[in-house]
Amino acid sequence: MRGFRPEDGAGFVALLDPTERVVLLDVVDEVLALVGADAPGGGIPEDVPDDPLASVRVSQGPVTPPWDPALRRLLPDASREDTELAAEFRRLTEADLRVTKHRNLLRLRAALEGARPELVVVASEAEQVAAALTDLRLVASERLGVRTDADADALYDLVGREHDDDPDDSEVSQRFLATVYVVLSLLQESLVDLMLAGLTEGTAPPP
Amino acid sequence: MRISRPATATVGPTGAPAPVRDVRAEERPAERGPDGWSTVVWNDPVNLMSYVTYVFRTYFGYPQATAERLMRQVHTEGRATVSRGNREQMEADVQAMHGFGLWATVQAAER
Repeated sequence: MRGFRPEDGAGFVALLDPTERVVLLDVVDEVLALVGADAPGGGIPEDVPDDPLASVRVSQGPVTPPWDPALRRLLPDASREDTELAAEFRRLTEADLRVTKHRNLLRLRAALEGARPELVVVASEAEQVAAALTDLRLVASERLGVRTDADADALYDLVGREHDDDPDDSEVSQRFLATVYVVLSLLQESLVDLMLAGLTEGTAPPP
Repeated sequence: MRISRPATATVGPTGAPAPVRDVRAEERPAERGPDGWSTVVWNDPVNLMSYVTYVFRTYFGYPQATAERLMRQVHTEGRATVSRGNREQMEADVQAMHGFGLWATVQAAER
């Protein structure tokens, strides 16, 4: 893997080896399924209309918070102390938020599909891809039990450490997921550094 | 929050995403808004400092210095108030933050 670099006319380009590409596609598909699972209103619609108002879906009844902590992290409560406010916010916004995340993940998925080996992200889609990478990292970190900055640092140590001679299954899967997390982090860091450097200071919003 | 490594690549021209709202009234986000509601962003061990700064710059339209100050406040104090206004505006901001993968909450006006 090589992180993103700017490329004239193409936007931002990273390099993935074939194994990384397949693994990341699997991870994206898993999170796509997670975001689509038990969605209010019966899942994410295949065809999201271009008209933003047509895609607004407000649930009639209360929407139960996700039981899966990883999904809960993607669709968090909007208040820590006011459960009524959080429930109302969830009823009004959760379906929409799932559509946004689904769309971002599909954008990343399309880029990964074409990554043989160049993972190309045009500047206009970079924000969606960076958001999708965030969601993948949030899910991976939740699965890995990351709660603190030190936990996150430990993942890098785990990936860099020599293998045990006889690792058990859980060590193998922890190391695998930690490697995925580190690869996603490197991709996101390199992409966001370029996005941030591309912003110009103090420009007025275009009309 | 994760510390990004310093950027090493050189950067070509890119289309800067447009700020999506007029934030002239919000250049001092610590001040009380007209209706006392606010949006608070919470620290987490996953989001990159560079990404959080990017989100504060592009979504709220804050200058780099303001965006970085708020990002550091989230990192060191565990939370930062990033916008103030009426409840509806704050709910829109919180939803947008959740779309970016940041954890934000709506803080009610003190009664």
